Amino acid sequence: MADLASRITKPDETPAATPAEKPAGGADGESNAEAQAGGGNGSGGLIESTFDVEIKLSELQADTASPLYSVSSFEELGLPKAINDGLLAMNFKKPSKVQEKALPLMLSNPPTNMIAQSQSGTGKTAAFVLTVLSRVDLTKPKQPQALLLAPSRELARQIQGVILTIGQFCENLIVEAAIPGSISRETGVQASIVVGTPGTVIDLIRRRQFDISQLKVLVIDEADNMLDQQGLGEQCVRVKGLLPKTIQILLFSATFPDKVMQYAERYAPNANQMKLRHTELTVKGISQMYMDCPDESKKYDILCQLYGLMTIGSSVIFVKTRESATEIQRRMEADGHKVSALHGAFEGANRDALLDDFRCGRSKVLITTNVLARGIDVSSVSMVINYDIPMKGFGDREPDAETYLHRIGRTGRFGRVGVSISFVHDRKSFNALSEIANFYGIDLIQLSPDDWDRTEKQVQDVIKSSRAKAEFAPLAIQV
Amino acid sequence: MSGSSPSPRRSFQWASPQRSVISEILNDDRNSEARHRLLIETAKREHDRVREDAERVYRDHLQREEKQRILEENKKEEERIRLEEQIAAERTRLNALKAKKIEIPPPAPEPLPEPEPKPKPELKPELPKAPPASAVTPAATTPPVAPAKTSAPAQPSQVNGSTPQSVAPAAANPFAASLKQASPAQPASPAPNALFPTAKPAAFPAGGAGLFGKPEQNNATPVPSSQTAQPTVQPPVQRAPDRYAIIHKNLKELRKSMLEQAKVNRALKDRMGDMRREIRKSVGQLTGGGAGTNRQQQHKIVSLLREALANGVQSQLMDPSNFIVEPRNPVEGATNNAPQVPSLFLYLLNVFAKATISQFINEAGAKPETADPVGVCIASTFSEPDFLWRGVSMIDILIAKFRIVCPVLFGYRGSEKTEQGRQRIGWWKDNGSWISEQQHMDRMTGLGAGFAAISLRKFAKAKKENPYSPRNYWTAMAKIVNTPAGEISNTQCVVLKSMVQNYETKFIEFYGTAAIAALRTALLEFPARATEKSSSVSSLPNLAQILKRDTGLVLG
Repeated sequence: MADLASRITKPDETPAATPAEKPAGGADGESNAEAQAGGGNGSGGLIESTFDVEIKLSELQADTASPLYSVSSFEELGLPKAINDGLLAMNFKKPSKVQEKALPLMLSNPPTNMIAQSQSGTGKTAAFVLTVLSRVDLTKPKQPQALLLAPSRELARQIQGVILTIGQFCENLIVEAAIPGSISRETGVQASIVVGTPGTVIDLIRRRQFDISQLKVLVIDEADNMLDQQGLGEQCVRVKGLLPKTIQILLFSATFPDKVMQYAERYAPNANQMKLRHTELTVKGISQMYMDCPDESKKYDILCQLYGLMTIGSSVIFVKTRESATEIQRRMEADGHKVSALHGAFEGANRDALLDDFRCGRSKVLITTNVLARGIDVSSVSMVINYDIPMKGFGDREPDAETYLHRIGRTGRFGRVGVSISFVHDRKSFNALSEIANFYGIDLIQLSPDDWDRTEKQVQDVIKSSRAKAEFAPLAIQV
Repeated sequence: MSGSSPSPRRSFQWASPQRSVISEILNDDRNSEARHRLLIETAKREHDRVREDAERVYRDHLQREEKQRILEENKKEEERIRLEEQIAAERTRLNALKAKKIEIPPPAPEPLPEPEPKPKPELKPELPKAPPASAVTPAATTPPVAPAKTSAPAQPSQVNGSTPQSVAPAAANPFAASLKQASPAQPASPAPNALFPTAKPAAFPAGGAGLFGKPEQNNATPVPSSQTAQPTVQPPVQRAPDRYAIIHKNLKELRKSMLEQAKVNRALKDRMGDMRREIRKSVGQLTGGGAGTNRQQQHKIVSLLREALANGVQSQLMDPSNFIVEPRNPVEGATNNAPQVPSLFLYLLNVFAKATISQFINEAGAKPETADPVGVCIASTFSEPDFLWRGVSMIDILIAKFRIVCPVLFGYRGSEKTEQGRQRIGWWKDNGSWISEQQHMDRMTGLGAGFAAISLRKFAKAKKENPYSPRNYWTAMAKIVNTPAGEISNTQCVVLKSMVQNYETKFIEFYGTAAIAALRTALLEFPARATEKSSSVSSLPNLAQILKRDTGLVLG
């Protein structure tokens, strides 16, 4: 990991490496070291035929550059056995880069704050969950010791689920979700770990139903979104004001726009930082395409055709309005799909049930508005459709690049292959998409609905090449 | 004292006819010694008579019981003999079939580094072999498998019944289990013995004593021996995997041929692409849930295949034997007996098979539980009576693909650190370079779960015949767990874990205590032998821990 080491800098130094030094040179040194390591393993008692040839360097090199690649194992991180067993049960074999790099920093003593950015689907949640589980003293199972904040009830429940899964072998682990309608009014919070949305958490603290005196860790997921939005940002500040001053603060997101970053640095002072350049943000395993639709009304039919072009597990369709969500749901159900449509029109428990259906595979198509663009992790999602291009600002004037990135990040989870297809039907939508593509420096591939045989072939080729594409998205680390 | 009852006092007290007795008593010589003797004599005679009577009744009873027992014994023996005869007949038939197969000209050389017997018979003997071969204590870990396996499979028989080759112990045992629960080991033993004469020679002859030394250390795995014994081992058995590779190649030719046909056959071109996409979409729409959840999709797939079979678009006719492992003769009552069927039908079966494999890789890799509905759909589609050719399913098309994408299920092994090793275990390449480890392990996870989803289907209540019986599951598992310690790979562990997880209940339903013994071998003993304790290796005992926690199944 020579090149990463060389790029670790002191906060007062100029920010990490220039783009020039990252590609060939650094990666080469890395692969040599790796090749030696591999050779060592190879001689470790394996009976090799004399004709067998060791793997070529180039292949390993492709591996080391990936944000999922890392040399160490979870054991080397010194996690307790119960936690390690939980990781094994989840089929986690090796830490991803963000886990490998950020965990030692977050686990070190005295506790230090952390601002970490890593691409979607690269294991951020597991990284902070591991930190939280390692910090909590399970002999005091009902004493709140860690608080995790997320922007939506879905995300909070998801994180709660991840903690319970990784911690499935930890005894006396109690995790509660501080979301509307979940914490008993009589007993208050009775858990060592609390995951919630800021509003509910503040209510609980005010009602003295949440003892915050012994909190050791505060995690904010989707931190840019949380700190930036008017309401949420204020609430986060208020929560922090109520907590012990010594608390360790961890901020995580796939995106950190510059202006939010400054704010984040004030919120979590003296933090270790892991940052990405915005050209490094997209996950290379996701094939990004766009469909050139002749007009708005043809979009429904084209949408249904997409499902025959490639093998699709689950899929997410992002739309702008509730009405089109309902209409698409009707059409797709007629075509044999099992669909969940989830948007602001549904309330708490209903939303939970719809999302649970999708999560466990009872429905395989999720139609949603922006409420679910961020964070939701369903590993089998292999296609994301931007039925409408994400826009922001007054009267939807500007393209919303962050939302685009978070949306397509619902697929390609943890190194898997994923496809995103954005629908374009007029000049405005085309321009908006081009702007987003330019911002991230991606080549969008055009598909057309005229000859499905040809489009099918084209899609297959794109998927193949993006799978083979050497993933190169190194992380700059500032300590 | 004349009554049969031996109670003189009672008669003395109550019986009125005893007057005479009284008079006797009042007689002069009533106290004489002679009189006394006489009375004693009479009493003794009476006593003997009663006793004899009782003894005779008792003897009769014993005899009747004995007779009954012998009758039952006879019945049992007859049943056993009948089954054994059946087995013998089936096996002769199988051997004949295999012998026939040798005549096929040898295929083009295919990198087949570790040709292993793929024998069906080997499966059963494999584990039982341990006890006789090795009285060594380490082997004591395997024997539990042997007795347990043979005595247990009460239920499997109904399902296994459809595949005669493997049934041997299973079929013999249900009776053992139901009639003689007290001593399961006893009736069980004849079954394997009956099996061995035919099965054993296959794996043993060339092996010789020298070869046993090594396997014994590895918990008596017979695999190495079979490797060396290769020339003498039944040749047809190692041909089978090769045959799959040929089928796979033939399928590629078929695809090319279809594209060629489409160039000149407009009707075919118009329909073929749509049908392909429809099938792919329907496979993608399958979800978990109760019975009937996927009726619409299943119906769609079947009707597309029917349409192809009707051949309205006039695709060329083609010989299906290019796509099956063993040649077939026409059978009475079969829907499709002709030497040729429409190529479009074969092509769509291929598309369907490919779509399901791709679904396993892409979806079940991330979420193994999604493999199950796909497995149900596969079993249901390939067993559809209209889609059988000469009475047997065309599932070889699908299995050929499995053989290519997940060779470890078929006994292939290799090091993940070498080019050839990776090739052997099916590590995929895209545009000339190996896919990442994460992607590879994902694929293997999905394929392992998919294999279980296909091979552990219950057809007990169905009228249709199981196209891929549980025996294949057992064989695949045996192939993996019998790998010599030094050659155990992470890939094998990952496949093994995913073929066990979520399927332990079904496996146990089929194989009973034998399954539990097999699970112990797979989840505890096998990983314990691995030289490198990677996380993939440790995830096996980890699964055992989870099973214990969630189902109370204690393996070790």
